[in-house]
Amino acid sequence: MEILEIITKCLAAGVAAAGFGMLFNVPQRTLLPIGILGALGGLVKFGAMYFGVGIVFSSFAAATVIGVVSIRMAHSKDSPPLVFYIPSVIPLIPGFFIYRMMLGIMSLISVSSTEVYLQNLITTVNNGTKAIFILISLGIGVAVPMLITRKETMKKKEPGG
Amino acid sequence: MNEETSNASEVGSILLDVGAALMSSGASTHRTRLTLERLASGLGFKIELLITQRALMVTVIDKDQEHFFSRLKRTSPHKINFKIVSGVSRMSWRVFDGEWNIEQVAAELRRLKKLPHYSQWLVLSTVGLAGAAFCHIFGGGLIDMAVAFTATFSGLFVRQQATLKKFNPYVCVFFAALTASLIAGFAEFFNFGNHPDAAFSTSVLFLVPGVPLINSVTDMMDGNIQNGIVRMVNGLIIAFAIAMGVFTVRILFSF
Repeated sequence: MEILEIITKCLAAGVAAAGFGMLFNVPQRTLLPIGILGALGGLVKFGAMYFGVGIVFSSFAAATVIGVVSIRMAHSKDSPPLVFYIPSVIPLIPGFFIYRMMLGIMSLISVSSTEVYLQNLITTVNNGTKAIFILISLGIGVAVPMLITRKETMKKKEPGG
Repeated sequence: MNEETSNASEVGSILLDVGAALMSSGASTHRTRLTLERLASGLGFKIELLITQRALMVTVIDKDQEHFFSRLKRTSPHKINFKIVSGVSRMSWRVFDGEWNIEQVAAELRRLKKLPHYSQWLVLSTVGLAGAAFCHIFGGGLIDMAVAFTATFSGLFVRQQATLKKFNPYVCVFFAALTASLIAGFAEFFNFGNHPDAAFSTSVLFLVPGVPLINSVTDMMDGNIQNGIVRMVNGLIIAFAIAMGVFTVRILFSF
Protein backbone atom coordinates (compact mmCIF):
# COMPACT_ATOMS: atom_id res chain seq x y z
CA MET A 1 0.00 0.00 0.00
CA GLU A 2 1.31 3.42 -0.96
CA ILE A 3 1.66 6.20 1.60
CA LEU A 4 -0.68 8.38 -0.47
CA GLU A 5 -3.28 5.63 -0.43
CA ILE A 6 -3.05 5.42 3.35
CA ILE A 7 -3.66 9.16 3.61
CA THR A 8 -6.71 9.15 1.35
CA LYS A 9 -8.09 6.14 3.22
CA CYS A 10 -7.64 8.00 6.50
CA LEU A 11 -9.52 10.98 5.11
CA ALA A 12 -12.25 8.62 3.91
CA ALA A 13 -12.50 7.10 7.39
CA GLY A 14 -12.84 10.59 8.85
CA VAL A 15 -15.62 11.51 6.42
CA ALA A 16 -17.41 8.25 7.16
CA ALA A 17 -17.14 8.82 10.92
CA ALA A 18 -18.57 12.33 10.66
CA GLY A 19 -21.37 11.06 8.41
CA PHE A 20 -22.34 8.47 10.97
CA GLY A 21 -22.13 11.08 13.70
CA MET A 22 -24.75 13.05 11.82
CA LEU A 23 -26.91 9.94 11.48
CA PHE A 24 -26.74 9.49 15.26
CA ASN A 25 -27.59 13.17 15.77
CA VAL A 26 -24.47 14.14 17.75
CA PRO A 27 -24.15 17.73 19.04
CA GLN A 28 -22.71 20.06 16.42
CA ARG A 29 -19.61 20.96 18.46
CA THR A 30 -18.52 17.29 18.40
CA LEU A 31 -18.77 16.70 14.63
CA LEU A 32 -15.27 17.89 13.74
CA PRO A 33 -13.58 16.00 16.62
CA ILE A 34 -15.42 12.85 15.54
CA GLY A 35 -14.13 13.27 12.00
CA ILE A 36 -10.57 13.74 13.28
CA LEU A 37 -10.90 10.75 15.58
CA GLY A 38 -12.18 8.59 12.71
CA ALA A 39 -9.22 9.64 10.56
CA LEU A 40 -6.85 8.91 13.45
CA GLY A 41 -8.33 5.42 13.80
CA GLY A 42 -7.83 4.89 10.06
CA LEU A 43 -4.24 6.13 10.32
CA VAL A 44 -3.42 3.68 13.09
CA LYS A 45 -5.11 0.75 11.33
CA PHE A 46 -3.73 1.30 7.84
CA GLY A 47 -0.39 2.46 9.20
CA ALA A 48 0.00 -0.72 11.24
CA MET A 49 -1.03 -2.81 8.26
CA TYR A 50 1.55 -0.99 6.15
CA PHE A 51 4.23 -2.18 8.57
CA GLY A 52 3.00 -5.74 8.25
CA VAL A 53 0.83 -6.09 11.36
CA GLY A 54 -2.16 -8.40 10.89
CA ILE A 55 -5.57 -6.87 10.26
CA VAL A 56 -7.02 -8.08 13.58
CA PHE A 57 -4.28 -6.49 15.70
CA SER A 58 -4.29 -3.33 13.61
CA SER A 59 -8.03 -2.97 14.19
CA PHE A 60 -7.56 -3.62 17.89
CA ALA A 61 -4.84 -0.98 18.12
CA ALA A 62 -6.96 1.53 16.22
CA ALA A 63 -9.97 0.90 18.46
CA THR A 64 -7.82 1.29 21.57
CA VAL A 65 -6.40 4.59 20.35
CA ILE A 66 -9.93 5.79 19.58
CA GLY A 67 -11.02 4.77 23.08
CA VAL A 68 -8.16 6.63 24.78
CA VAL A 69 -8.54 9.82 22.73
CA SER A 70 -12.33 9.80 23.11
CA ILE A 71 -11.91 10.01 26.89
CA ARG A 72 -9.68 13.09 26.50
CA MET A 73 -12.16 14.63 24.05
CA ALA A 74 -15.04 13.87 26.38
CA HIS A 75 -13.41 16.07 29.03
CA SER A 76 -12.63 18.96 26.71
CA LYS A 77 -15.91 18.92 24.73
CA ASP A 78 -18.19 18.15 27.66
CA SER A 79 -19.90 15.10 26.12
CA PRO A 80 -19.73 11.46 27.19
CA PRO A 81 -17.03 9.35 25.47
CA LEU A 82 -19.50 7.13 23.63
CA VAL A 83 -20.62 10.10 21.54
CA PHE A 84 -17.07 10.13 20.13
CA TYR A 85 -16.06 6.49 19.93
CA ILE A 86 -19.17 4.90 18.40
CA PRO A 87 -19.21 6.89 15.12
CA SER A 88 -15.40 6.70 14.92
CA VAL A 89 -15.05 2.91 15.05
CA ILE A 90 -17.77 2.27 12.49
CA PRO A 91 -15.39 2.91 9.52
CA LEU A 92 -13.20 0.10 10.90
CA ILE A 93 -15.98 -2.48 10.59
CA PRO A 94 -14.82 -5.24 8.20
CA GLY A 95 -17.75 -4.95 5.80
CA PHE A 96 -15.95 -6.61 2.94
CA PHE A 97 -15.05 -9.74 4.94
CA ILE A 98 -18.59 -10.05 6.29
CA TYR A 99 -19.92 -9.76 2.76
CA ARG A 100 -17.44 -12.35 1.47
CA MET A 101 -18.42 -14.67 4.32
CA MET A 102 -22.11 -14.31 3.50
CA LEU A 103 -21.49 -15.00 -0.18
CA GLY A 104 -19.43 -18.02 0.79
CA ILE A 105 -22.16 -19.43 3.02
CA MET A 106 -24.62 -18.92 0.20
CA SER A 107 -22.42 -20.78 -2.24
CA LEU A 108 -22.04 -23.65 0.24
CA ILE A 109 -25.79 -24.22 0.11
CA SER A 110 -25.84 -24.74 -3.63
CA VAL A 111 -22.47 -26.32 -4.56
CA SER A 112 -22.49 -30.07 -5.22
CA SER A 113 -18.93 -30.99 -6.25
CA THR A 114 -16.72 -31.88 -3.29
CA GLU A 115 -13.64 -30.12 -4.58
CA VAL A 116 -15.35 -26.78 -5.12
CA TYR A 117 -17.14 -27.20 -1.80
CA LEU A 118 -13.87 -27.65 0.08
CA GLN A 119 -12.31 -24.67 -1.66
CA ASN A 120 -15.31 -22.50 -0.79
CA LEU A 121 -15.38 -23.81 2.76
CA ILE A 122 -11.77 -22.78 3.30
CA THR A 123 -12.24 -19.23 1.99
CA THR A 124 -15.54 -18.82 3.86
CA VAL A 125 -14.08 -19.93 7.17
CA ASN A 126 -11.05 -17.73 6.58
CA ASN A 127 -13.14 -14.63 5.82
CA GLY A 128 -15.61 -15.40 8.58
CA THR A 129 -13.07 -15.85 11.37
CA LYS A 130 -11.31 -12.66 10.29
CA ALA A 131 -14.59 -10.73 10.30
CA ILE A 132 -15.66 -12.04 13.71
CA PHE A 133 -12.29 -11.50 15.36
CA ILE A 134 -12.07 -7.97 13.99
CA LEU A 135 -15.54 -7.19 15.32
CA ILE A 136 -14.69 -8.55 18.77
CA SER A 137 -11.37 -6.71 18.86
CA LEU A 138 -13.14 -3.45 17.93
CA GLY A 139 -15.62 -3.82 20.77
CA ILE A 140 -13.05 -4.77 23.35
CA GLY A 141 -10.45 -2.30 22.09
CA VAL A 142 -12.87 0.56 22.61
CA ALA A 143 -14.07 -0.68 26.00
CA VAL A 144 -10.65 -1.33 27.57
CA PRO A 145 -9.47 2.31 28.00
CA MET A 146 -12.86 3.10 29.53
CA LEU A 147 -12.49 0.31 32.07
CA ILE A 148 -8.95 1.27 32.98
CA THR A 149 -9.57 4.99 33.49
CA ARG A 150 -12.98 4.71 35.08
CA LYS A 151 -11.78 3.77 38.54
CA GLU A 152 -9.78 6.96 38.74
CA THR A 153 -12.49 9.40 37.56
CA MET A 154 -15.06 7.76 39.80
CA LYS A 155 -12.87 8.36 42.83
CA LYS A 156 -12.27 11.96 41.91
CA LYS A 157 -15.82 12.95 41.14
CA GLU A 158 -18.26 10.63 42.83
CA PRO A 159 -19.43 11.19 46.40
CA GLY A 160 -18.00 9.02 49.13
CA GLY A 161 -21.21 7.19 49.99
CA MET B 1 -49.68 12.53 51.45
CA ASN B 2 -47.06 14.63 53.21
CA GLU B 3 -44.32 16.63 51.61
CA GLU B 4 -41.52 14.06 51.70
CA THR B 5 -43.46 11.35 49.91
CA SER B 6 -44.65 13.72 47.23
CA ASN B 7 -41.07 14.85 46.81
CA ALA B 8 -39.83 11.29 46.48
CA SER B 9 -42.51 10.48 43.92
CA GLU B 10 -41.70 13.61 41.93
CA VAL B 11 -38.00 12.75 41.89
CA GLY B 12 -38.81 9.16 40.99
CA SER B 13 -40.93 10.16 37.99
CA ILE B 14 -38.37 12.60 36.61
CA LEU B 15 -35.56 10.06 37.07
CA LEU B 16 -37.58 7.49 35.15
CA ASP B 17 -38.16 9.98 32.34
CA VAL B 18 -34.45 10.79 32.16
CA GLY B 19 -33.48 7.11 32.29
CA ALA B 20 -35.97 6.12 29.62
CA ALA B 21 -34.72 8.92 27.35
CA LEU B 22 -31.11 7.79 27.88
CA MET B 23 -31.77 4.11 27.21
CA SER B 24 -33.72 4.77 24.03
CA SER B 25 -31.10 7.26 22.76
CA GLY B 26 -28.33 4.69 22.83
CA ALA B 27 -26.54 5.09 26.17
CA SER B 28 -24.97 2.03 27.75
CA THR B 29 -26.44 0.54 30.92
CA HIS B 30 -23.56 1.73 33.06
CA ARG B 31 -23.91 5.29 31.78
CA THR B 32 -27.64 5.31 32.49
CA ARG B 33 -27.10 4.02 36.01
CA LEU B 34 -24.27 6.47 36.68
CA THR B 35 -26.26 9.46 35.43
CA LEU B 36 -29.39 8.60 37.40
CA GLU B 37 -27.42 8.02 40.60
CA ARG B 38 -25.61 11.32 40.11
CA LEU B 39 -28.92 13.13 39.59
CA ALA B 40 -30.50 11.48 42.62
CA SER B 41 -27.61 12.27 44.93
CA GLY B 42 -27.62 15.86 43.68
CA LEU B 43 -31.31 16.11 44.58
CA GLY B 44 -30.67 14.54 47.99
CA PHE B 45 -32.09 11.04 47.55
CA LYS B 46 -30.77 7.51 47.45
CA ILE B 47 -31.99 5.23 44.68
CA GLU B 48 -32.02 1.58 43.71
CA LEU B 49 -32.32 0.81 40.02
CA LEU B 50 -33.27 -2.04 37.75
CA ILE B 51 -32.37 -1.33 34.13
CA THR B 52 -33.42 -3.51 31.23
CA GLN B 53 -33.53 -2.81 27.53
CA ARG B 54 -37.23 -1.95 27.38
CA ALA B 55 -38.20 -1.10 30.97
CA LEU B 56 -36.80 0.74 33.98
CA MET B 57 -37.61 0.38 37.64
CA VAL B 58 -36.56 2.83 40.30
CA THR B 59 -37.00 2.96 44.06
CA VAL B 60 -36.34 6.36 45.62
CA ILE B 61 -35.50 6.45 49.32
CA ASP B 62 -35.25 9.72 51.21
CA LYS B 63 -32.46 10.50 53.62
CA ASP B 64 -34.10 9.43 56.86
CA GLN B 65 -35.16 6.14 55.26
CA GLU B 66 -38.79 6.73 56.17
CA HIS B 67 -40.41 7.31 52.82
CA PHE B 68 -39.83 5.56 49.60
CA PHE B 69 -41.36 5.42 46.19
CA SER B 70 -41.20 2.75 43.49
CA ARG B 71 -42.29 2.82 39.91
CA LEU B 72 -41.83 0.94 36.69
CA LYS B 73 -41.64 2.61 33.30
CA ARG B 74 -41.54 1.15 29.84
CA THR B 75 -38.99 2.85 27.59
CA SER B 76 -39.94 3.92 24.10
CA PRO B 77 -38.51 2.04 21.09
CA HIS B 78 -34.85 2.76 20.52
CA LYS B 79 -33.97 5.71 18.34
CA ILE B 80 -30.35 6.78 18.55
CA ASN B 81 -29.94 10.41 19.53
CA PHE B 82 -26.61 11.41 21.03
CA LYS B 83 -27.74 14.98 21.66
CA ILE B 84 -29.90 13.66 24.50
CA VAL B 85 -27.09 11.48 25.89
CA SER B 86 -24.71 14.43 25.84
CA GLY B 87 -27.20 16.97 27.19
CA VAL B 88 -28.36 14.77 30.06
CA SER B 89 -24.77 14.12 31.05
CA ARG B 90 -24.06 17.86 31.24
CA MET B 91 -27.25 18.43 33.18
CA SER B 92 -26.44 15.71 35.72
CA TRP B 93 -23.21 17.48 36.69
CA ARG B 94 -25.05 20.75 37.27
CA VAL B 95 -27.54 18.97 39.49
CA PHE B 96 -24.76 17.14 41.29
CA ASP B 97 -23.01 20.41 42.04
CA GLY B 98 -26.26 21.64 43.59
CA GLU B 99 -26.86 24.35 40.96
CA TRP B 100 -30.15 23.01 39.62
CA ASN B 101 -33.38 21.88 41.26
CA ILE B 102 -35.97 19.43 40.06
CA GLU B 103 -38.07 21.90 38.04
CA GLN B 104 -35.00 22.89 36.06
CA VAL B 105 -34.25 19.21 35.39
CA ALA B 106 -37.75 18.67 34.03
CA ALA B 107 -37.51 21.80 31.86
CA GLU B 108 -34.07 20.82 30.53
CA LEU B 109 -35.30 17.32 29.63
CA ARG B 110 -38.23 18.81 27.71
CA ARG B 111 -35.84 21.17 25.92
CA LEU B 112 -33.43 18.34 25.00
CA LYS B 113 -36.23 16.21 23.60
CA LYS B 114 -37.34 19.11 21.41
CA LEU B 115 -33.85 19.88 20.03
CA PRO B 116 -33.95 19.71 16.23
CA HIS B 117 -32.35 16.86 14.33
CA TYR B 118 -30.11 17.59 11.38
CA SER B 119 -32.28 18.16 8.32
CA GLN B 120 -33.21 15.06 6.37
CA TRP B 121 -31.42 15.96 3.14
CA LEU B 122 -28.24 16.92 4.97
CA VAL B 123 -28.22 13.56 6.79
CA LEU B 124 -28.95 11.68 3.56
CA SER B 125 -26.10 13.40 1.73
CA THR B 126 -23.51 13.04 4.48
CA VAL B 127 -24.36 9.39 5.08
CA GLY B 128 -24.18 8.92 1.31
CA LEU B 129 -20.70 10.50 1.40
CA ALA B 130 -19.83 8.15 4.24
CA GLY B 131 -20.90 5.25 2.02
CA ALA B 132 -18.68 6.53 -0.78
CA ALA B 133 -15.82 6.87 1.71
CA PHE B 134 -16.34 3.28 2.81
CA CYS B 135 -16.21 2.20 -0.79
CA HIS B 136 -12.88 3.98 -1.16
CA ILE B 137 -11.52 2.22 1.93
CA PHE B 138 -12.37 -1.14 0.38
CA GLY B 139 -10.61 -0.21 -2.85
CA GLY B 140 -13.36 1.25 -5.03
CA GLY B 141 -12.67 3.81 -7.76
CA LEU B 142 -14.56 7.04 -8.48
CA ILE B 143 -17.45 5.41 -10.34
CA ASP B 144 -17.83 2.78 -7.62
CA MET B 145 -17.90 5.56 -5.05
CA ALA B 146 -20.68 7.29 -6.97
CA VAL B 147 -22.62 4.02 -7.05
CA ALA B 148 -22.10 3.54 -3.31
CA PHE B 149 -23.26 7.12 -2.69
CA THR B 150 -26.46 6.61 -4.68
CA ALA B 151 -27.16 3.24 -3.08
CA THR B 152 -26.60 4.51 0.46
CA PHE B 153 -28.61 7.67 -0.17
CA SER B 154 -31.61 5.76 -1.51
CA GLY B 155 -31.37 2.99 1.06
CA LEU B 156 -31.36 5.42 3.97
CA PHE B 157 -34.25 7.33 2.40
CA VAL B 158 -36.28 4.11 2.15
CA ARG B 159 -35.46 3.27 5.75
CA GLN B 160 -36.62 6.69 6.95
CA GLN B 161 -39.86 6.47 4.98
CA ALA B 162 -40.54 2.93 6.19
CA THR B 163 -39.91 4.03 9.79
CA LEU B 164 -42.38 6.89 9.33
CA LYS B 165 -44.96 4.40 8.05
CA LYS B 166 -44.39 2.49 11.32
CA PHE B 167 -43.18 -0.79 9.86
CA ASN B 168 -41.44 -3.25 12.16
CA PRO B 169 -37.86 -1.93 12.59
CA TYR B 170 -36.26 -5.09 11.23
CA VAL B 171 -38.51 -4.93 8.18
CA CYS B 172 -37.37 -1.32 7.68
CA VAL B 173 -33.76 -2.53 7.67
CA PHE B 174 -34.66 -5.27 5.19
CA PHE B 175 -36.28 -2.75 2.82
CA ALA B 176 -33.27 -0.46 3.06
CA ALA B 177 -30.80 -3.28 2.42
CA LEU B 178 -32.90 -4.44 -0.51
CA THR B 179 -32.97 -0.97 -2.08
CA ALA B 180 -29.28 -0.26 -1.55
CA SER B 181 -28.04 -3.58 -2.86
CA LEU B 182 -30.49 -3.49 -5.75
CA ILE B 183 -28.90 -0.24 -6.96
CA ALA B 184 -25.36 -1.48 -6.36
CA GLY B 185 -26.35 -4.81 -7.91
CA PHE B 186 -27.44 -3.12 -11.13
CA ALA B 187 -24.03 -1.49 -11.38
CA GLU B 188 -22.37 -4.86 -10.87
CA PHE B 189 -24.72 -6.58 -13.32
CA PHE B 190 -23.94 -4.11 -16.10
CA ASN B 191 -20.26 -4.08 -15.15
CA PHE B 192 -20.24 -0.44 -14.29
CA GLY B 193 -17.02 0.89 -12.72
CA ASN B 194 -13.77 -0.97 -12.14
CA HIS B 195 -14.43 -2.59 -8.78
CA PRO B 196 -18.23 -3.11 -8.56
CA ASP B 197 -17.67 -5.71 -5.87
CA ALA B 198 -16.53 -3.01 -3.46
CA ALA B 199 -19.58 -0.85 -4.17
CA PHE B 200 -21.91 -3.80 -3.66
CA SER B 201 -20.42 -4.84 -0.34
CA THR B 202 -20.23 -1.31 1.07
CA SER B 203 -23.67 -0.15 -0.07
CA VAL B 204 -25.34 -1.71 2.98
CA LEU B 205 -22.70 -0.71 5.53
CA PHE B 206 -24.74 2.29 6.71
CA LEU B 207 -27.16 -0.22 8.22
CA VAL B 208 -24.63 -2.06 10.41
CA PRO B 209 -25.91 -2.16 13.99
CA GLY B 210 -22.84 -0.43 15.39
CA VAL B 211 -24.50 1.07 18.46
CA PRO B 212 -26.23 -2.15 19.67
CA LEU B 213 -23.12 -4.25 19.09
CA ILE B 214 -20.61 -1.89 20.70
CA ASN B 215 -22.95 -1.20 23.61
CA SER B 216 -23.42 -4.93 23.95
CA VAL B 217 -19.69 -5.49 24.42
CA THR B 218 -19.44 -2.52 26.81
CA ASP B 219 -22.39 -3.77 28.84
CA MET B 220 -21.00 -7.27 29.13
CA MET B 221 -17.59 -5.95 30.21
CA ASP B 222 -19.35 -3.91 32.88
CA GLY B 223 -21.09 -7.02 34.18
CA ASN B 224 -24.52 -6.10 32.83
CA ILE B 225 -24.53 -9.43 31.06
CA GLN B 226 -28.27 -9.69 30.63
CA ASN B 227 -28.56 -6.33 28.89
CA GLY B 228 -25.47 -7.16 26.85
CA ILE B 229 -27.05 -10.36 25.58
CA VAL B 230 -30.29 -8.59 24.71
CA ARG B 231 -28.38 -5.94 22.74
CA MET B 232 -26.26 -8.59 21.03
CA VAL B 233 -29.34 -10.52 19.89
CA ASN B 234 -30.93 -7.29 18.68
CA GLY B 235 -27.79 -6.48 16.68
CA LEU B 236 -27.70 -9.97 15.21
CA ILE B 237 -31.32 -9.77 14.08
CA ILE B 238 -30.52 -6.47 12.33
CA ALA B 239 -27.49 -8.10 10.69
CA PHE B 240 -29.72 -10.98 9.61
CA ALA B 241 -32.23 -8.54 8.10
CA ILE B 242 -29.41 -6.91 6.12
CA ALA B 243 -28.23 -10.33 4.93
CA MET B 244 -31.77 -11.23 3.82
CA GLY B 245 -31.95 -8.05 1.75
CA VAL B 246 -28.58 -8.70 0.12
CA PHE B 247 -29.40 -12.38 -0.53
CA THR B 248 -32.67 -11.47 -2.20
CA VAL B 249 -30.82 -9.23 -4.62
CA ARG B 250 -28.11 -11.84 -5.28
CA ILE B 251 -30.79 -14.40 -6.10
CA LEU B 252 -32.57 -11.92 -8.37
CA PHE B 253 -29.40 -11.18 -10.31
CA SER B 254 -28.23 -14.79 -10.53
CA PHE B 255 -30.96 -15.60 -13.07
